[in-house]
Amino acid sequence: MIEQLLGDYTLRTVTLGAAILGAVSGVLSTFVVLRQQSLLGDAVSHAALPGIGLAFLITGSKASLILMIGAGIAGWLGTALVLLITHSSRVKYDSALGLVLSVFFGIGLVLLTFIQKSSLPNQAGLDSFLFGQAASLVMEDVLTMTVVGGLALVVILLFWKEFKLLAFDPDFARSLVLPVRWLDVGCTTLLVVVIVIGLQTVGVVLMSAMIIAPAAAARQWTDHFGMMTLISMIIGMLCGTGGSILSATTSNLPTGPIIVVCTSGVVVMSILAAPHRGILWNKIRQILQNRRLRAEAVLLDLFDLAKQHETPEYPHMEEVLRVIYPQSGSLLRQLQGLQSKGLVMRNEHGAWALTPDGVIRCHQLIKERTP
Amino acid sequence: MSTVIEVRDLTVAYRENPVLWDIDLDVGSGTLMAIVGPNGAGKTTLIKTILGLIKPAAGQIRILGQPYHKVATSVGYVPQRGSVDWDFPTSVLDVVLMGLYGRLGWIRRPGSMQRKEALAALEKVDMVDYSHQQISQLSGGQQQRVFLARALVQKAQVYFMDEPLQGVDATTEHAIIDLLQVLRSSGKTVVVVHHDLQTVSSYFDEVFLLNIRRISSGPVSEVFTDQNLKLTYGGRVAIIKEPTS
Amino acid sequence: MSAFHWEIQLVSMVVATACALPGTFLVLRKMAMMSDAISHAILPGIVIGFFLTENLSSPLLILGGAVAGLLTVALVEWIRKTDRVREDAAIGLVFSTLFALGVLMIAQFANDVHLDIDAVLLGELAFVPFDRLMLFGRDLGPQALYATGIVGLLCAGFILLFYKELKLATFDSALCATLGFLPGVLHYSLMGLVSMTAVAAFDAVGSILVIALMVGPPASAYLMTHQLSKMILYSIILAILAAISGYWAAYLLDASIAGCMATMVGVEFAVLFCVAPHQGLLVAWKRRRHQRWAFAIKMLVIHLLQHEDTPESEQECRVDHLQDHLAWEQPFAEGVVARALSRKLIRSVGEYLELTPSGRNLAHQAMVHV
Repeated sequence: MIEQLLGDYTLRTVTLGAAILGAVSGVLSTFVVLRQQSLLGDAVSHAALPGIGLAFLITGSKASLILMIGAGIAGWLGTALVLLITHSSRVKYDSALGLVLSVFFGIGLVLLTFIQKSSLPNQAGLDSFLFGQAASLVMEDVLTMTVVGGLALVVILLFWKEFKLLAFDPDFARSLVLPVRWLDVGCTTLLVVVIVIGLQTVGVVLMSAMIIAPAAAARQWTDHFGMMTLISMIIGMLCGTGGSILSATTSNLPTGPIIVVCTSGVVVMSILAAPHRGILWNKIRQILQNRRLRAEAVLLDLFDLAKQHETPEYPHMEEVLRVIYPQSGSLLRQLQGLQSKGLVMRNEHGAWALTPDGVIRCHQLIKERTP
Repeated sequence: MSTVIEVRDLTVAYRENPVLWDIDLDVGSGTLMAIVGPNGAGKTTLIKTILGLIKPAAGQIRILGQPYHKVATSVGYVPQRGSVDWDFPTSVLDVVLMGLYGRLGWIRRPGSMQRKEALAALEKVDMVDYSHQQISQLSGGQQQRVFLARALVQKAQVYFMDEPLQGVDATTEHAIIDLLQVLRSSGKTVVVVHHDLQTVSSYFDEVFLLNIRRISSGPVSEVFTDQNLKLTYGGRVAIIKEPTS
Repeated sequence: MSAFHWEIQLVSMVVATACALPGTFLVLRKMAMMSDAISHAILPGIVIGFFLTENLSSPLLILGGAVAGLLTVALVEWIRKTDRVREDAAIGLVFSTLFALGVLMIAQFANDVHLDIDAVLLGELAFVPFDRLMLFGRDLGPQALYATGIVGLLCAGFILLFYKELKLATFDSALCATLGFLPGVLHYSLMGLVSMTAVAAFDAVGSILVIALMVGPPASAYLMTHQLSKMILYSIILAILAAISGYWAAYLLDASIAGCMATMVGVEFAVLFCVAPHQGLLVAWKRRRHQRWAFAIKMLVIHLLQHEDTPESEQECRVDHLQDHLAWEQPFAEGVVARALSRKLIRSVGEYLELTPSGRNLAHQAMVHV
């Protein structure tokens, strides 16, 4: 398969393009998710459509850089309009997003149908921006993506600490007289740039997933901002690569959707299984803790019962204990568990008693629990 | 005692509604001042406007005799604890380092020098042991101490703090007040938005009673009277005086 | 003008109305983006329904779509409750994944079925009249008309029946719960209606333009009125207007009908955004200009009141000091003083300004009023 990967020009191009797209959108997604701009990303990617149509109408060219510039301007304009609407009317953010998203998309459709029905030459393939058509990528497109994406990454690295502060505490940033408004514009512009890079591969409809999923997954694995960005980038890259190879080696699996499904799969897996934050681990930890608490309760009950006798190691029959736990079927299991830890023992009459170790443990527990 | 904060005829409006009317405020050096008033009185707005976060409709603000943006490095700010997302993936030390971003300037990253400064600030709030903890694992009081350390590391002349005692445990409250008093004794000016009327007299030197407009301001012993409080809170408040022995 | 034209316009009007009804509540409940999520996420439901029935207008599709839509709402809710991912990210993730799954399903079985992804996403109103409802050999009109009509009636019925509960749940969900009206049930019913409307409408206008029709007219109506009943009414009127004008624009430009309808929705909003009574930019601008003076006069009288009978009043109440202290430009300060003088709120005593009784009154009022 490696041979196939290296040998096939289309596959190599597509895989490289998807990997670069995954990496760049992975980095940006950290900021998008932490700044809660996920749905803005969706709006921007839909709003980019008329830009593509207009860029083609004006220049007559399908060069990816020109279409990207058109898409970028439209996406950016969409963002600006969302801000304008929320700032100067009582229409709320979510309505403004939905409105800009769908109206821009509608204008885009009008332009695309207009172009299709016109007699302009060289127009085929513009609608591949709707769902993306990774197979149509050529080396030149990948090069454009690399340069534009690389520039975006350089900007992020240069203003790393400012962007981080912007995401965490913009008011404090403003009190340090940082130009928060410009940083905000810059960060949003980078978001637009990254979305535009992905349009040809993944398409306007699914691009939003690429700028949410990697970071949503990465957040589960780390509590460190830089590490989160790195993991997010790696997840984006791996899913891009994996998705495009899967798409190329299986028939009828379009690249964009399969990449999206891959990254979402990683998110689900991360939410479930990531150490510390994974909910499966939490469940297991909880079960273990409950079990430990139950066993400790049995141990302390033995200790309490023995208090009425001269020695804390006084043995009691299981039936006596069962009076305390009439419903618990696991009493014997608890006792056997304690026995295997050497905290209790069973004498020849079948009665249970604390061992010297068990007594020590009880004293410890009582001390721990008294504040 | 020189004037450190000077606010003249400050009016702030949100859309068309005034939120602060014609405020005058003077704070001298080495003063620990509480801003007190009911909810919606504009306490936070006043601080934010002085710090240039909100654009005023009219009036003048001078800090150390200069407009804010010229002396920003001499001003420390502790925002309300609830104003940030504490699930943000970052460590205690990282948050404190953010206080140095203003002095660091563009592009430069914090280095070992800055780390040392940050640790020293954490030492002052007794949080060194937590420096590598993720911030979501902190209690409310610990979060507040981290914010305080971030302001301390700014090595400012003037500090503005928005409800630093809101929802913290008693130990933290005392630790914070001790720290504020140390700052005051070393000649710094500290302005604190405060909500607990019972503690105003024991914690602060001066008080600024605010309800959209200035009701009264000056030394606590002169200004913090029942009559003024009634004016501030519209007669719906009774302060329980501790029995004088 | 052939019958087709009328049929297309009729269907687009019905679709627009059906979308505007639940859309009003989405906009008011700050959940407009759920229309985006649901209209994308119904795709797998539609695809599965289509495999089973091989008919894009079958009622089974509407059911499948409704299930997919409710699944989206439930999934978002579940992810949000795990507290691992924020709600906005959860919405974005769930619907794009479901949409991607739908696209993959279509691609996998592309050879067996005639379901075009473009058709789902973009719709084509022009083809609506070709799919007719035949009963006992009689032609009863386009199928889409019935599908959207029935869903529209369902929405209208639901809103009429539960009008006061919906109103309460929208404006005060907590109170609604304490009164025992189950805002959760209302919420899911509403989401179910949104899903069903989206499925019924996608055939005609495509799933993305469903968003335009659900969010646009209610958002525009929101600029015109504060009253729920009027907002619903205006939404419907605006939606129908957009549908008809969009149709004719498409006819003239020879472009996508749905695209033109969405564009008209945008035009309507843009116009109202600028000229709406009370809310529009133009009115707001005029009001602000007027209020700037009124506000400044109030500031002046309050300023004078604050410094009345204080030792520094000689300084504070001089005309030339207003520029310094209120940071007003000289012409503006003079304008304010002139206006206040002419309204007899202040009088000038030499170089000083003094409040008249009516000025003092205004100052007191202004301070109490805030």
